[in-house]
Amino acid sequence: MTANQQSNEGHTVKHRHRTEGPEKHIIVFIFSIILTAIAFAAVAAGGVNPAFTIILLLVMAILQVFVQMGYWMHLKDKGHLMPIVFMIGGFFVASTCIIMALFWVWW
Amino acid sequence: MAHAHAHSHSVKRYSGLMDWLTTVDHKKIGILYLIAGGLFFGIGGIEAILIRLQLIKPMNDLVSAQVFNELITMHGTTMIFLGVMPVIFALMNAVVPLQIGARDVAFPFLNSLGFWTFLFGGLLLNLSWIMGGAPDAGWTSYTPLSTTEYSSTHGVDFYTIGLQIAGLGTLIGGINFLATIITMRAPGMSFMRMPMFTWTSFITSAMILFAFPAITVGLVLLSFDRLLGANFFDVAAGGSPVLWQHIFWIFGHPEVYILILPAFGIISEVIPTFSRKRLFGYSSMVFATILIAFLGFMVWAHHMFTTGLGPVANALFAIATMLIAVPTGIKIFNWLFTMWGGQIRFTSANLFAIGFVPTFVMGGVTGVMLASAPADFQFHDTYFVVAHFHYVIVGGLVFGLFSGLHYWWPKMFGRMLNEPLGKWTFWTFAIGFHLTFFVQHFLGLLGMQRRIVSYLPNQNFDTLNFISTIGAILMGVGVLLFLANVVVTARKPSGVANDPWEDGRTLEWSIPSPPPEYNFKQIPLVRGLDAFWKEKMAGNKEMTPSEPLGPIHMPSPSILPFVMSLGLFIAGLGFMFSTEEFSNSFMSLIFNKYIVMIVGLVITFAAMIARSVFDDHGYHIETEELEGEGKA
Amino acid sequence: MSAHAEHVNGELPHEPEKATLEGRNKVLGFWLFLGGEAVLFGTLFATFLALRHQNNEGPTAAELFSLPITAAATLILLVSSLTSVFAIQAMHRHNLEKLKLWLIVTVVLGLGFLGLEIYEFYEYVAHESFDMKTSAFSSSFYTLVGFHGAHVAFGVVWISLLIAQLFKKGLTFVTAPKVYVSAMYWHFIDVVWVFIFSVVYLLGKVG
Repeated sequence: MTANQQSNEGHTVKHRHRTEGPEKHIIVFIFSIILTAIAFAAVAAGGVNPAFTIILLLVMAILQVFVQMGYWMHLKDKGHLMPIVFMIGGFFVASTCIIMALFWVWW
Repeated sequence: MAHAHAHSHSVKRYSGLMDWLTTVDHKKIGILYLIAGGLFFGIGGIEAILIRLQLIKPMNDLVSAQVFNELITMHGTTMIFLGVMPVIFALMNAVVPLQIGARDVAFPFLNSLGFWTFLFGGLLLNLSWIMGGAPDAGWTSYTPLSTTEYSSTHGVDFYTIGLQIAGLGTLIGGINFLATIITMRAPGMSFMRMPMFTWTSFITSAMILFAFPAITVGLVLLSFDRLLGANFFDVAAGGSPVLWQHIFWIFGHPEVYILILPAFGIISEVIPTFSRKRLFGYSSMVFATILIAFLGFMVWAHHMFTTGLGPVANALFAIATMLIAVPTGIKIFNWLFTMWGGQIRFTSANLFAIGFVPTFVMGGVTGVMLASAPADFQFHDTYFVVAHFHYVIVGGLVFGLFSGLHYWWPKMFGRMLNEPLGKWTFWTFAIGFHLTFFVQHFLGLLGMQRRIVSYLPNQNFDTLNFISTIGAILMGVGVLLFLANVVVTARKPSGVANDPWEDGRTLEWSIPSPPPEYNFKQIPLVRGLDAFWKEKMAGNKEMTPSEPLGPIHMPSPSILPFVMSLGLFIAGLGFMFSTEEFSNSFMSLIFNKYIVMIVGLVITFAAMIARSVFDDHGYHIETEELEGEGKA
Repeated sequence: MSAHAEHVNGELPHEPEKATLEGRNKVLGFWLFLGGEAVLFGTLFATFLALRHQNNEGPTAAELFSLPITAAATLILLVSSLTSVFAIQAMHRHNLEKLKLWLIVTVVLGLGFLGLEIYEFYEYVAHESFDMKTSAFSSSFYTLVGFHGAHVAFGVVWISLLIAQLFKKGLTFVTAPKVYVSAMYWHFIDVVWVFIFSVVYLLGKVG
């Protein structure tokens, strides 16, 4: 993989300052794998306090989503103000739905 | 660079009916929305008058209880989704690109797709009248009333699937206007220089984006319950009817703000123009709009005070609801201060705008009354609620739409609506409106329930109901006067001035009426709020261009949006009748084996693939052509 | 590197998807759409969370779910998200061959995920008598996970169509935004899956 990209360097030399390598994304990938593994392990091991496990699962999921949207979907890059505004809007309304489901359907 | 491929492609340009079926021009799509919205508004209006005629006297038997249920359901559903929303989109299409100095919307093709999907969804819903019965569970379609157990015709299936398709169109339209306003503004047109109607269109589109997916899911769940035997709302299998109420209102409350915000925008354009003053408190108007939209997503459970969510939830939602009165009050005072000391001209557009203010305040005040949870236990499901929401939707939104139509008609069609007829329209409609709905407050307080087909005599309901029905007929006369005005105006020659009101403040008044298909020969340079007014005050007759004259790139017309929507329509019908037992074996084969549904989906997907595979290069209007048109 | 011959006159900028107004509009419009999709899935998750204990004497989540299958599906989708990042990087380098290759890998992984999901659903229906009609829990499970699966299936067809277009038209100002947007879509599907494996499967095992 790295070799292929190097063989490309010659062609894109004028863009070199803006062309990023795969390393960053592989790090994000490994990070995601670790977070996923922790979540699966906590459940597979069993015996852990359920309330703690639930919080752990949520934290792992949100962290992973945060990193993937930042790096893989480029939300951390410049010029993404509107996408960020509208993704936050979407997640905000989605979370009101979740709160509804957790507190106001059964009582 | 954007047009690198566009030269040398000749594009077929259609005429007549084919032109309207294939158009991607936002101004023509605006007119299509107006015609379709007007048609459905008329159907909804006839349903309203039938409801009122049934209630004109106690124990009336003009229609049966079943038909009455269908009438109230279809009146609400048609008016909200198929009547006023398209007219809002008509004005947004006609005006927003012009106000921001753009030649086109961001997605002309999607704009057309949004219209045709809405139209086919609306047609599907209304087909229910002739295909075995209209939906009869109320516009809110609460479960279990809307489950197959209590609503055994296909009525509610027409509701779920028709609204699903129409809602898809609305969502597409919303995304298009968001992107248009974000990326297509002319140089110098910063967000805080945008006209208020553009601002409210922007915020309304954002609300559409976040509210419609919720009802999409709700309708999917309800149709799965009805057609696939799922158990979302079936208590016996663990489902929860309260869940439907939540999902419906998480969409439904933002939806009513989706309706009213564009009316706020229209009023904020009309009042300054006819007061010859700039809008008072522009930035507070912008922030009030954003705040209303934000709060609009956090108050849905005030529709469910009597469901039994408990005191904590009721108190939270009551407080959040009352908070909305603050930004709304800011707006009301801003309009009053705009008129204060202005040189007010009472044109028909301005009559509707000025009439809007006190009428909407009345609807707002009853809104705050209803927001009080303990009081709501008394008001709930009475005519007090009916009076409240008609005051905000008719007295607010429909007044606003009439105002906007009278105001922008010359820009859309190149002809001024007849002023005396317009004033007759206003007075008839406004008086009829208050006759109809003012008395309903008292009917509600006296204990008359909504959605009942008849009532016993001598409960003090008789006179008030009679007055209400007379008012409804008067409103019908008002609408007919407007239609007469449209016909009279259409017979006059086209060609009013660029700025027929002479006090136009925003960019749409700086170009011909109606505008050429490319809107702006040269994109204008915006130097402040109320860009055109600013140039007039500086002694300029026209906007300063921001670019030299050059060839203009235009998108090519396409029949594909029509075909995609037709496919969805067929697929919807197929899915709806998939559980029907047919006596005819051929019908049974094509419906019960999902063949019709699959054919419809294949049509839609084939059209999508065709759109993706064949590049749309568009065409150019050359400089010589532009100069020629300028002289003519 | 014969692919270089297929570039448009070698004039493509570093980020060809944002070179034209149409391209920028497409990317922005798709972000807006994803904002709406977030609410769509949010409502589906809400429905599932409200109904997940209502098993109506049918199988419960803890009885039903198998962690190894979920883990395999998760790994496949996560890797496919990475390969679509590589595809976009190849596009930014104007390397058409690599771009097509990574997209094909992404599609194959997507098909693998779909295969696992179909196998899982088949097992539930055929051997666990757990179908749409079993309980409120089953209805909400199939609708949420099925909606996600339908998104994956749509993505597989869409990206395959784009691969075909890349073979025919090469990398141009028209194809580049389409590829970029499809990658955004694919990442979003992966993001939704992160919540699905956490909230549906793992939480189901916890109880």
